[in-house]
Amino acid sequence: MNIFLRELKAHRKSLIIWSVGMILLIITGMAKYTSLYSTGSAMQDVLNQMPKSVKVVLGMADFDVTKVSGFYGMLFLYIILMTTVHAAMIGAGIISKEERDKTSEFLFAKPVSRDRVISAKLLAAFFNIVVLNIVTTLTSIAIVNKYSNGEQVNGMILTLMLGMFFMQLIFMFIGTGLAAASRNPKTAASAATGILLGTFVIAKAVDLNSGIDFLKYITPFKYFDPVRLILGPGFEPVYIILTVVIVAVLFVATYRLFKKRDLKI
Amino acid sequence: MNMFFHELKAGRKSMIIWACSLSAIVILMMSIFPAFMTDVEAAKKLFLGLPDAVKKMFGFYADTFFTLLGFYAYIFLFVVLCGSIQAMNLGTGIVSKEVSGKTADFLLSKPVSRKRILTAKLLAALAIMIITDAVFFIVAVIMANIVKTEPFSMAKFIMISLTLLFVQLMFFTLGFLISVIAPKIRSVLPISLGVVFTFFLLNMVDSIIGEKAARYIIPFLYYDNSYIIRNGSYEVSFMIVEAVFIIVAIAASYRFYIRKDIKV
Amino acid sequence: MNLKGGAVEMNVIEISNLTKYYGKSRGIIDVNFNVEEGEIFGFIGPNGAGKSTTIRILLSLIYPTSGSASIFGRDCVEFGPEIKKEIGYLPSEVFYYDTMRVIDLLNYSASFYNKDCSARIKELAGIMDLDLHARIDDLSYGNKKKVGIVQGLIHQPKLIILDEPTGGLDPLMQQKFFDLLQAENQRGAAILLSSHILSEVQRLCSRVAIIKEGRIIKIDTISSMREDNNKKFRIEMKSENAISNDFFKMEGVKDLKVDGRMISFLYLGNINLIMKKFASIDIANVWIEEMDLEEIFLHYYEKEDRSLEKEDQTAQKEEQKL
Repeated sequence: MNIFLRELKAHRKSLIIWSVGMILLIITGMAKYTSLYSTGSAMQDVLNQMPKSVKVVLGMADFDVTKVSGFYGMLFLYIILMTTVHAAMIGAGIISKEERDKTSEFLFAKPVSRDRVISAKLLAAFFNIVVLNIVTTLTSIAIVNKYSNGEQVNGMILTLMLGMFFMQLIFMFIGTGLAAASRNPKTAASAATGILLGTFVIAKAVDLNSGIDFLKYITPFKYFDPVRLILGPGFEPVYIILTVVIVAVLFVATYRLFKKRDLKI
Repeated sequence: MNMFFHELKAGRKSMIIWACSLSAIVILMMSIFPAFMTDVEAAKKLFLGLPDAVKKMFGFYADTFFTLLGFYAYIFLFVVLCGSIQAMNLGTGIVSKEVSGKTADFLLSKPVSRKRILTAKLLAALAIMIITDAVFFIVAVIMANIVKTEPFSMAKFIMISLTLLFVQLMFFTLGFLISVIAPKIRSVLPISLGVVFTFFLLNMVDSIIGEKAARYIIPFLYYDNSYIIRNGSYEVSFMIVEAVFIIVAIAASYRFYIRKDIKV
Repeated sequence: MNLKGGAVEMNVIEISNLTKYYGKSRGIIDVNFNVEEGEIFGFIGPNGAGKSTTIRILLSLIYPTSGSASIFGRDCVEFGPEIKKEIGYLPSEVFYYDTMRVIDLLNYSASFYNKDCSARIKELAGIMDLDLHARIDDLSYGNKKKVGIVQGLIHQPKLIILDEPTGGLDPLMQQKFFDLLQAENQRGAAILLSSHILSEVQRLCSRVAIIKEGRIIKIDTISSMREDNNKKFRIEMKSENAISNDFFKMEGVKDLKVDGRMISFLYLGNINLIMKKFASIDIANVWIEEMDLEEIFLHYYEKEDRSLEKEDQTAQKEEQKL
């Protein structure tokens, strides 16, 4: 419990900065919507006739960006980039920081098992990603409704946020798993970032080329793709199962790997 | 200079990883180009018929976009994103790592001025970025030649590719300034990612609607690839602003570092 | 367990064939020793000998390659968290969470033990002259060490493990620290002290283990190490060449040196025999000292190397015969 509280305190500043950043992103993002919106129906015709690959390139995919919901769907990709980066960094950082800052000899000579330390840290990291998720959700609901002109958006937002939560979990555990495995704190953070960026690029590539569609199973960004969530089949069982499996495996791995290895003093 | 080579050696592994990553991105993305082109014929006709106001809104121009150069320019954004993270890492880390790695009192007690230390590190970082970019460029040229459907202007290709280095220089400088001002940076990556992604997101949000002022703040917007494709040159005002920023920031970094107390 | 005069004494620490390899490099090999309840046990050896490795295994910071270690009768790895409730550890390099104040760190430390340590914190901080409200960042190396000391003792542990504890402390603080340790020991705490500073090992410890290149080369009580060892003699003659250079040469005497009016040697044997020699001469001054632990220790080194030398020599002779 004391470790958990300590971690919360240590992350307080960072959480505030990320939350404020997210709020600003949503506000400025939606502010752009008004300009696009004003050209109304002319845009719509153009967009309807555009081939999909071009729309993908523009970042719009199948969304009707003249509608608030469509625009938000497009904005969502960037929101999700922010929150997954946050999750991966927190995950990798919170586990490896004792070894990075050389406080392991202090902490692990205390009468506390490694498992309990991991539990406290995982809980604190989880708390952080949940808070960011809630901030994003509330801000989105507040701002998007302002521009929505009566269109029902809350359902869409909540769906997207749930998908985002799953992705945050996946990347957080990728971070913790890597940090638990590696004695070098820097390696874990870089590797987590690498995986994140790599899967992001792959997701974009899959969007552009249906020929490599099979790659969608290896990139979490495709599990809860906004287009499929809102305009398509919604939450698909195969992706839910994949998420659960990945999270479960990494969860166990984090505990096991960290317990087994020598600590780096 | 011994320090220069030391830094090069220390950064070798990371540089190789980045060079491979950037190359992988360009290989992956460019290999999509042929498939992309087949979708494009219909779109081309459509865009030619659009009113100018709408064209402008998309920030690109139909005649240039559906070509190899145009596609390259699009995927190039991801390359620049990753390259900027590398540059920011280098900038933020190369000076602060002496403090975080507790080697500050070793290095600074040697008979070498702080100015020389900074210079060696600066040059080493520059070398790392140039080598990474060069490797990337060679791979990109090879890929471009493999997937092309018609001849393209090599000069313009080079110009677009060079923007990677230009943007990297800006992030590097920013990172350098931060690392010199902060007393101790325990972990470089969160800062790098945070800053680069913030600018990136501002860029994405902004690319739908261009605003003149925003272009001067966001490094990614300094070099408009569509402009390069159309005109075969850079926009001079931005180059000047960048040069001024770099010179001023680096000079300030030197002055600051030379005067400050080093935290051991 | 061992039996002394009918009372059963528990071993607080039992280390059995403990071996640790870091990949291919040796950490420690076949280390065996015990620390008894209530004793102050010294652990010495040159740099890189394996002292910190042994201690880190005891604290399950790293894991043994083979062999076992137990504290309070329970295996270190398996029962780590439980046994640590009664262990206080002061590592050689002290790093803490930078943005904390001393009192925050101490309170955080105390929160791991189910005891109310607040009175003890104030008491120890007072003795060690530690400013509870200073930021740890701003403290000097020695003051950070003090934080380490206090942090290790606030929960009144039954076993105190110290790795180079007095580095950075001024002599007055060192004295206070020793007093603290001895008070804890009176209270019944066992202490494992690893140090290079042989004078303090000599002062505090009753038994000592010497480790070199990963292996234990000697375990003994300080007193018998002294007893079995040479006395140092230094004699100042009234004038040079007053006696022959070989005057003191006899069985038991070694390292005989004559330098102007000063004669020095080491003697191991019946003290009366050597004293009889003095009776027949006139001297200006004499100093007779016990070899201190440092010299004994270095002596063990030499003894090791010398015996190796002898083996080499006999081997060479064998070769020459062939």
